[in-house]
Amino acid sequence: MTRPLTGVRVLELTTAVAGPIAGCALADLGAEVIKIESPAARTTAGAAAPPPREGAPDRPWNRTPVFNDLHRGKRLLNMDLAHREGRALFLRLVAQSDVVVENFSPRVLANLGIDYPQLREARGDVILVSMPAFGKSGPYALRGSYGPGIDAMSGLSHLTGYPDRGPGKPAQFYCDFHAGLTAAFATMAALRHRRRTGEGQYIELSMLEGELQLLAPALMDVTMNGRSATRIGNRHAWRAPQGVYACAGDDRWVAITVTTDAQWAALARALGHPEIAEDARYATHVARMQRHDEIDALIAAWTRGRGHVEAMHALQAAGVPAGALLDVAELHRDPQLLHREAFSWQEHAEMGAFPHSRLAWRSRRGHHGVSGPAPLYGEANAYAIRELLGESAERVEALREDGVIADEPRGGRH
Amino acid sequence: MAGALDGIRVLDLAQGSFGYAGRLLAGFGADVIKVEPRGGDPLRAWPPFAADHPDPERGARHLHLDGAKRSMVVDLDAREGQALLRRLVREADALVESFTPGHLAARGLDYDRLVESRPDLVMVSITHFGQDGPYAQYAGGEIVDAALGGYLYLTGDPDREPVKPYDDLVLQHAAVHGAVAVMAGITHRELIGEGDHFDVAASEAALFLLGGMAQTYHFDGRVSKRVGARLTYANPLYPYPSTIRPCRGGYVHAHSNNRHIDLLAALMQGVGMEALLDRPMGNADAIDEAMDRWMAEKDKFEVVRLAQEMRLPFTEVLTPDEVIRDPHLEARGFFVELEHPAAPGVRQPGAAAMLTGTPWRVARAPVLAEHTDEVLGDVLGLDRAAIDALRRDGVIA
Repeated sequence: MTRPLTGVRVLELTTAVAGPIAGCALADLGAEVIKIESPAARTTAGAAAPPPREGAPDRPWNRTPVFNDLHRGKRLLNMDLAHREGRALFLRLVAQSDVVVENFSPRVLANLGIDYPQLREARGDVILVSMPAFGKSGPYALRGSYGPGIDAMSGLSHLTGYPDRGPGKPAQFYCDFHAGLTAAFATMAALRHRRRTGEGQYIELSMLEGELQLLAPALMDVTMNGRSATRIGNRHAWRAPQGVYACAGDDRWVAITVTTDAQWAALARALGHPEIAEDARYATHVARMQRHDEIDALIAAWTRGRGHVEAMHALQAAGVPAGALLDVAELHRDPQLLHREAFSWQEHAEMGAFPHSRLAWRSRRGHHGVSGPAPLYGEANAYAIRELLGESAERVEALREDGVIADEPRGGRH
Repeated sequence: MAGALDGIRVLDLAQGSFGYAGRLLAGFGADVIKVEPRGGDPLRAWPPFAADHPDPERGARHLHLDGAKRSMVVDLDAREGQALLRRLVREADALVESFTPGHLAARGLDYDRLVESRPDLVMVSITHFGQDGPYAQYAGGEIVDAALGGYLYLTGDPDREPVKPYDDLVLQHAAVHGAVAVMAGITHRELIGEGDHFDVAASEAALFLLGGMAQTYHFDGRVSKRVGARLTYANPLYPYPSTIRPCRGGYVHAHSNNRHIDLLAALMQGVGMEALLDRPMGNADAIDEAMDRWMAEKDKFEVVRLAQEMRLPFTEVLTPDEVIRDPHLEARGFFVELEHPAAPGVRQPGAAAMLTGTPWRVARAPVLAEHTDEVLGDVLGLDRAAIDALRRDGVIA
């Protein structure tokens, strides 16, 4: 099937999560994304790899669920850019590509001798998308950080968590996913500009400045009112009640939020307390916020004996926004996610059926879901060097012997 | 210089935090027309407000998320208002909306009807659970969508209830999926000539954020649990730290150099760190204690300076007032102050991207209905008499 980016070639020089997410969205949309990964980037250890599918060779580095989810639908060229020949081959690939996406630390790219002017020499209308942690100028330009460290500097860590404990963290890699999708958006906008004008460009997406877009309420409360906010746990900043309430079973919870006074009345009746539905002492958000502890106790007494999914359905039927907190096992059998085919299944050569998390939409024309399984290690070595660059099989063999390309990982700690 | 999306017109009917989709499009140069109901997008009524004075023109969220958009008011409950929107759709490239499924259909404004006006329309609907399925009509919201997408269960401490991330992170993440969908649709239309309808679900955006945890479960059957500020990996050989720890007067985000785990021991001497780094994740609690001892007498800026000098990617946990004064953001000129008739000189976040060829567009948010006449004039070519008649009939404001 033709997808929106069919025919676009992207070279992905990425590490960790943010860069791979950018490529992952572009690959899902039909681009040919070639991830270029150093042979030294991973080891052959793969201690946590699940067993191979029946009949598949035992190559654990091909079976990392997280890596494979981040690289579905891509091609994988394992080539050493620090090697003189690897760098030369890379620049020849740039000449045949539309976009380069990178998220190495500024130091790494400088050490490799790769920058936008050089890419432009290889291809005049190339689009380079860089995703530095803090931006390539300013006092922190050379600071290293992964996504969670950026959450710390954006204020997000300080603002997430329990009021009676230290700063917290949104699960896994929020900052990386946000930055990666923003980069995919920027790439498509730049491609659109190039279609109209023939001009490529260099785009710098500071992960920190991308995340600060989401913190405007807290940041502007400082600039407008001199107030520096802190953590409020599960409560809402100006509505009540809102919370996460314990249900029957071990570690089972339902989230409830009341956004209107009508929903409050509905909640009070659903809890079996019709008398407080009309009570003036609970009539407004402001009033309810003052009695939040008391209201929480009423809700908790009701949820305690009910299953989390049962509680959700009962409250939704009454008109109250409520959601069961699903764990990863429940996500795979949730009727809504199943109906929507939220997992996009692909057949991986060495892992078998693999459920990928697709981009968060379905499209009338079927432009949703992932476009292919994750590649095996070195899968695109021959494709890139022979088919795209026109080199011989002997040359590929020589590059392998010289360590410029690799069929197996050979370094790093993980 | 023109923006990357110069010449693209977007009707933005998305409300609340979903308005970030339109903000990205406007930042990249699209003409984003925010079509608001009579009282304005509810976003305008959300705190905080400039000088704590509640006013639809002074809310931080509105001032930020509606920057560089135009505003018009059209009553979509009125038949004439519906007809007006259909005429605007004819002149637009894309429409973004976030009504409950069925709301637009009841007004004859769903995708199937709108394509009668504009066959190649790109329409993006952003809702909590999607347009169809058993929960389509369920009431959602940030905390509910985060729960049903599996993100909430994994955020928080192991010994406590799950805790919601700050504000509307999931809804805004869904808005970015919506912006990507707009570009997917525009791209397909420019190349092939066909429109499309994208049905974005915020709960699926939450699922997307799990970062491989649902995949890992499929293969090993292990149900991930909350791990506080750490990463959700069980392998004892996995690098550590990636966490938040206290120091003198504050907190730091502590992270290993994943390529050179031993650097942590080189930085933190005299606390027994060397002996713990053979199984970093397996020794996480002991590493925390050792770090706490080493950091107890140092403030966060000193800890980070010493760590970064050794290429350990530590960072300071900053509070909002510290972020506003941060010297790096200051040097980059990130925060901007915009002239605004009701909220002048408010300092707010600036560009989400630096584009060398097509600069990010910085412009203030529109006053409610500021551009109603202008849009009806330039986009639909209505004259003064026609506009006055619509206003008299209460169709526009």
